Amino acid sequence: LERPALRALIKVTLFKHELTGKPMVLEGVFVGGSAGKAEGKLLQYHPLSLCNTSEDERQDGDFITIVKLERRVPRCLPLLDKANMALEKGAQAVIFDVSDDDQAAAELRETDSLPRPVILVDAQDAEELMGLVNKNEEANVIIEIKVESKWPQYD
Amino acid sequence: QHKQISGVSSGCQQGGCLTCSDYNGCLSCKPRFFMHLERIGMKQIGVCMTSCPPGFYGTRSPERNTCTKCRSECDSCFNKNFCTRCRPGFYLHLGKCQETCPEGLVRSDTQRECV
Repeated sequence: LERPALRALIKVTLFKHELTGKPMVLEGVFVGGSAGKAEGKLLQYHPLSLCNTSEDERQDGDFITIVKLERRVPRCLPLLDKANMALEKGAQAVIFDVSDDDQAAAELRETDSLPRPVILVDAQDAEELMGLVNKNEEANVIIEIKVESKWPQYD
Repeated sequence: QHKQISGVSSGCQQGGCLTCSDYNGCLSCKPRFFMHLERIGMKQIGVCMTSCPPGFYGTRSPERNTCTKCRSECDSCFNKNFCTRCRPGFYLHLGKCQETCPEGLVRSDTQRECV
């Protein structure tokens, strides 16, 4: 019996609205048995930056990596290795936008050995997140496990 | 529908770009160009350059030419093991940046070299 994938709540607060703003709440799916809580500032990584362990940028403070996967970028490593590399670079969690790479979702769902949360997002949730990145809107992200209500609503 | 136009589109109007997308910038470069991953605030986009910026060196390979960061004590370099200019507090000797100089040589702060 396949275990249902746990859903993630992604609460996003823009730095400029930190005191007053209500967080934007998006959703994703945990993969690799990695469900859990995490927090940090949102930071984009280009898919090609997760190819080798060159001594590139070190980040200070907690951060959560977001990577928009694209089928046109040749896969330099399996996605599990990319996820682990992002976590080794210090990410508290990794969000993969799989809107344009549906194979990625299938590939990542097979894993079960990730030390920290890895979440897949697509469609509207991904568009909202990448929209922030595109406008360089610095934001803090909190990731939690979505608790499904016990009794499904029957209309 | 998210815009993905190869060549030139709003997010990646650069001569050296072969394929690109609005969110990641260049995804691949034309022959002879180097792919440099540039951090701009929270964003990181691909940029195709004829030569790598200071602090990075170019590596050519069949799949991709890339810019890789020099060692941390190095301001500019030919490759990972051959530095050409050191960061303040380090002194160049035989392509290496060191905090002290070998016997018989002294530290030049202006040139950041063992002389």
